[in-house]
Amino acid sequence: MRIIDLFSYAFSAIKLRKLRAGLTTLGVVIGIAAIVALLSITQGLQVAISAQLQRGFATDTLIVAAGGGLGGVNEFNLLVKDAQTIKEMDNVTASIAVIQRICYIRMPNGQTRRVTVTGVDFAAYREIYSSAFAAEEGEIPLNPEDNAIVIGKQVSDPWGNGTILCRTGDTLEILWTNTTARPLRNETYVGRVAAVLREIGGFTIGGPSDNRIYIPISKAQSFFGTETCEMIIVKLRNDDRATIDSATKAIREALGGRVSVTSSTAILNIISSVFSTVELFLAGIAAISLLVAGIGIMNIMIVSVMERTREIGILKALGMKNHQVLLIFLCEAAIIGLLGTLIGIGAGWSLAQIVLRIFGSSDRVGIIRQGNRAAVSNGITITPVLTPTVILGALVFGLTVTMVFALYPAWKASKLKPVDALRYE
Amino acid sequence: MAKTIIKTVDLRKTYMQGRIPVEALREVNLEVREGEFLSVLGPSGSGKSTLLNLIGALDKPTGGKLFIENIDVSALNDNQLADLRIKIGFVFQFFNLIPRFTARENVELPMSIAGLSKGERRKRAEELLQMVGLASRMNHKPTELSGGEQQRVAIARALANNPRFLLMDEPTGNIDSKNAYEIIRLVKRLNEDKGVTIIMVTHDQQLAAEAKRIVYMLDGMIVRETVS
Repeated sequence: MRIIDLFSYAFSAIKLRKLRAGLTTLGVVIGIAAIVALLSITQGLQVAISAQLQRGFATDTLIVAAGGGLGGVNEFNLLVKDAQTIKEMDNVTASIAVIQRICYIRMPNGQTRRVTVTGVDFAAYREIYSSAFAAEEGEIPLNPEDNAIVIGKQVSDPWGNGTILCRTGDTLEILWTNTTARPLRNETYVGRVAAVLREIGGFTIGGPSDNRIYIPISKAQSFFGTETCEMIIVKLRNDDRATIDSATKAIREALGGRVSVTSSTAILNIISSVFSTVELFLAGIAAISLLVAGIGIMNIMIVSVMERTREIGILKALGMKNHQVLLIFLCEAAIIGLLGTLIGIGAGWSLAQIVLRIFGSSDRVGIIRQGNRAAVSNGITITPVLTPTVILGALVFGLTVTMVFALYPAWKASKLKPVDALRYE
Repeated sequence: MAKTIIKTVDLRKTYMQGRIPVEALREVNLEVREGEFLSVLGPSGSGKSTLLNLIGALDKPTGGKLFIENIDVSALNDNQLADLRIKIGFVFQFFNLIPRFTARENVELPMSIAGLSKGERRKRAEELLQMVGLASRMNHKPTELSGGEQQRVAIARALANNPRFLLMDEPTGNIDSKNAYEIIRLVKRLNEDKGVTIIMVTHDQQLAAEAKRIVYMLDGMIVRETVS
């Protein structure tokens, strides 16, 4: 029997029971759609977050912080001048100290807000984070005059709706309580806004952020009265693994092993591996629904074999071989599986679009919110991502599940004895 | 003398009915020659249908030998039996047509199994349906045909692959007498004009008498034979 005839025979059998075949197909559609939707949403999320991170991360940077990692009592202080020591090492092209304090600022309209004030070398910071530390308004001074400050987009426009609280040229007061002085002393730093940063979105480690105020490092040192810094950002010549490893080792050694050195690339890798796990987990849950569909297929096919016992007897009496009977039933499953999988991929893709549209008003999804409650605009855009791998995987998986579950009923049909099958009422 | 195409030697078949063995055939010896029209006559339960199923390679004997064109059927595996069945035309009491197929598609089915192309199948199916007098009803489904017409479709289907012989199991058992007459005329014509070898099983004496040779069966054995 020709393969085309096997298929057309199988198809004629499916056509006979349209509703039943339709419902069986629907099971496959739902399973595949769930998998495809979840995968394309998580992949879209991953792409969006990675893009955000890369903007504030710069893959060729290292973050040096005091202490051996998270938590614990830390007796070691990272000094601003350590940045200079690191800068002279091999493979390092720039190295800047970062001082950070939580302060209150008084806006031109008299309102006060809490923000993080960051002291950095503007020129070097700009060099490392060229895309993120960029002005939307005004200009970032590379040799800042005494009271020049740079503010993040959210400091200027906290609700993201155009209600500007301060703009270039305005004067801001930074209020800081020196908690090491006795009695406590309130210090005030008067700054003139030289630039408002472009919106960055997402979150960053070390890199620029929307809701911060930047002042020159030398001013930060004198204002906060400190020689220590919170971290040193190191820019390497490239983001090769070897470069990152050797620089990490050299920095740790130079600072007596009392610092943690974190590579942005490493963080990105960790994040993407976390995403892979989440993706696998979600796909696993979705796969269960496909498995249920598979059991449905098996159930329907067992009933179908019973109903068509006599027909199988006729086919065998006319000379059809066992494996051809098996193939006919597998073809039926394959048609249902293929149809269900193809529709499922389309449905899953549409579902992903709809879900992101519903949960992200006008495609904007607030995934990571930081800083104050007003940080509404701090969302990132997610577009579902459907890779050829997912399409192919869904096809293979959908077909495999249908075929595997169809195998037993098909085998049962093929093993029927013609004389018994013909006698079946 | 025409050559022997079917030969049984002490052919036996035992069924298990629950836990009780039932001897459907006991030592049946029969020889059928090419071009013969043979009736197997007997009451129900005499083993005539069992004999037909064995000759049709639908079932395997419990003992003895069955030769079809000198091939020992009892030694064949499932695949070889299927190949053999392509060369045997079977006509059943209840027609056994595929309900979702038209008359022509039903006649095409055995040719499709044999691997013929769509064009060849179609042509031959139309010729055969014309021969059994159903040229105008080719595109009707079995439910749209009378019992007699359905049986004629079944005969056309049985002839599709130029079988070595035709096996008929009560071919008129489900048809009114007028149509039954038409069927038997068709069968006789096939035998006389086309030289098709026919073995027909029936419990109807009058019908059996249409054949030149009648074999009488009782309790799983051939008890008598007449040749006219």
